[in-house]
Amino acid sequence: MKKILRSSEFFVALVVMVLCIIIGLINPVFFSWENLFDLLRSGVVTGILALGCLIVIVSGGTDVSFATIAIFAVYLASKILIAWQFDGTVLVAFLLSAAIGTVLGLFNGALIAWFRLPTMIVTLGTSSIFRGAMLVFIGTFIINKLPQGILAFGQATLAQVSNANGAVIGLPVSVVIFFGAAVLVWLMMKYTMLGRGIYALGGDRVAAERAGLNVIGIQLFIYGLVGFLAGISGVVHASLVRNVNPFDLIGTEMNVIAAVVLGGARITGGRGTVFGTILGVMLVVIMNNSLILLGIPSYWQRAAIGVLILLGTGITAWQSKRESAANLLES
Amino acid sequence: MKKNWLIIGGLAVIIIVAAIFLIPSQKASEQHKFATVVKLSGLAWFDRMEKGTLRFGEETGNETFLLGPPKADAALQVQIVEDLIAQKVSSIAIVPFAPEALEPVLQRAMDQGIAVISHEASNINNVNYDVEAFDNAAYGAHFMDQLADLMGAKGEYAVMVGSLTSKSHNEFIDAAIARQQEVYPDMKLVAERVESYDDQKIAYERAKELLKAYPNLGGFIGCAMTDPVGIGLAIEEMGLQDKTAVVGTSLVSVAGAYLETGAIDAISFWDPADVGYVMNAIAARILAGEAIADGDNLGVPGYEQITLNGKVITGQAWIDVTKENMDQYDF
Repeated sequence: MKKILRSSEFFVALVVMVLCIIIGLINPVFFSWENLFDLLRSGVVTGILALGCLIVIVSGGTDVSFATIAIFAVYLASKILIAWQFDGTVLVAFLLSAAIGTVLGLFNGALIAWFRLPTMIVTLGTSSIFRGAMLVFIGTFIINKLPQGILAFGQATLAQVSNANGAVIGLPVSVVIFFGAAVLVWLMMKYTMLGRGIYALGGDRVAAERAGLNVIGIQLFIYGLVGFLAGISGVVHASLVRNVNPFDLIGTEMNVIAAVVLGGARITGGRGTVFGTILGVMLVVIMNNSLILLGIPSYWQRAAIGVLILLGTGITAWQSKRESAANLLES
Repeated sequence: MKKNWLIIGGLAVIIIVAAIFLIPSQKASEQHKFATVVKLSGLAWFDRMEKGTLRFGEETGNETFLLGPPKADAALQVQIVEDLIAQKVSSIAIVPFAPEALEPVLQRAMDQGIAVISHEASNINNVNYDVEAFDNAAYGAHFMDQLADLMGAKGEYAVMVGSLTSKSHNEFIDAAIARQQEVYPDMKLVAERVESYDDQKIAYERAKELLKAYPNLGGFIGCAMTDPVGIGLAIEEMGLQDKTAVVGTSLVSVAGAYLETGAIDAISFWDPADVGYVMNAIAARILAGEAIADGDNLGVPGYEQITLNGKVITGQAWIDVTKENMDQYDF
């Protein structure tokens, strides 16, 4: 019990709950099904990207290229599907986009694992290369006529509610993808040798190598998986906005990294959980989507976001500092 | 030792790849170089503008090109202008994201003898001329008339701007609100002006939040090209096509699908290609030492009899599009 109370996740959960209660008191609409569905919909893409980002951060790295990979993968996949005049199931779009994402991710992984270059420098460089290659070789135009499968997937809902106004609010099916991916990543991180290896790598690389872990293999796997998840999230994004704009998503990586760090992952590696990441994503999504509900004037919204980020990170950072001090005393 | 070679090899690969992407941008040329800088590259709007600048280049035998930052950020635009000054271009036509941030660098450009023309920035100082497709106040008031007509001159409405620092968007909205207060007393503005950062997903999320916070909301005006599309997607998903009016600036290529279903009721635009052409044509006249006078004909429909007020050149070039006449426009 004491352990739970002291964990970073507990504090993030507390911050999320307090935030929800405050917003709900000011505007009760916040606690409607309608709003819950909207928040989930807003969080899906960030959430899937955050899962990949979490794995990298746990391994002691920083990836800033996943958002670029996501849009690259879906943009190229859509172009290919349109060229094939393919109008079938969305699964093909997912497979294609995920495959493209995996290849790009493995490219990162190869540079990082074999050349042992700093992860942030590599991904900063490759994200620029990927973006440049996309704009030069694939195109700069927004694709407005997506394959039917992707559009149908975006419009499919798990559940629907109507509000007093007669408006229908649906919960998109892609939420399942997010939660499915979250469960898989959680199982992998917690119960497989590979997952434990990722934690070990982030904790102390030298120790991990001496313990006999295949560090190169693990790093290739990590960045390949990040690319895979990015490819999936790209298709989800496209299905939700119903077009593919090669300039979308790029720039959101900081939001995603912020969500993961807010969720208690340690930026130097070795620590972080799927549950914490989900909480971090919730925090970011709620902050970004409640300012109008709160009635905060537009001119104040940026300031309000800044205050919330400072509060959110401040509390978690203060907590983890206290926690590590406590650990030192105990050991 | 082997590791070192690997690192050097890796760096060499990166440098070669980077060089491949950088070389095409350093073409040398002798004639006049007319640069056009936009808010965000890759948007259909600015792709269309590029067509106008290229047409001007073909007709006059000069080198014309258009570029913009990958995300809407004033600092990135400043960098681009600095690069252009270093490249010694003859003229810079610019659509500023935040005019005040560009003043110093544009002054430097003018000091070097570069002709500087802006668009959508009637408050800017350090330019030879600013081009406006039309009087912003007239355009904004016209949105309000359309909206009032659709809403039966009563009910709540909301307004969306690309950014709170966008001069033209705020002028549209100032005039629209003034018009409403004057002529349509039964209409009421809610939530001040909402900011979308020229991003369709944000426009979508803000529209949904507005509809939750103000359930009786009957109409939207969206100023940025992506605003009506994001709002339209929200309206269509919620099934509010018949209850909620949406008007604003957009293009048929991106808003067409929503005009057809009635999620967007009417869009207006000015042809960005004409603006691109006119800006470069004015630059050419400045470089040739000719002055522009009130009532001049700049050779493009809508700019046949311009109004000159200080540095601001105004045409009469807006186009209204509804479901009925949308098939006449292919951009």
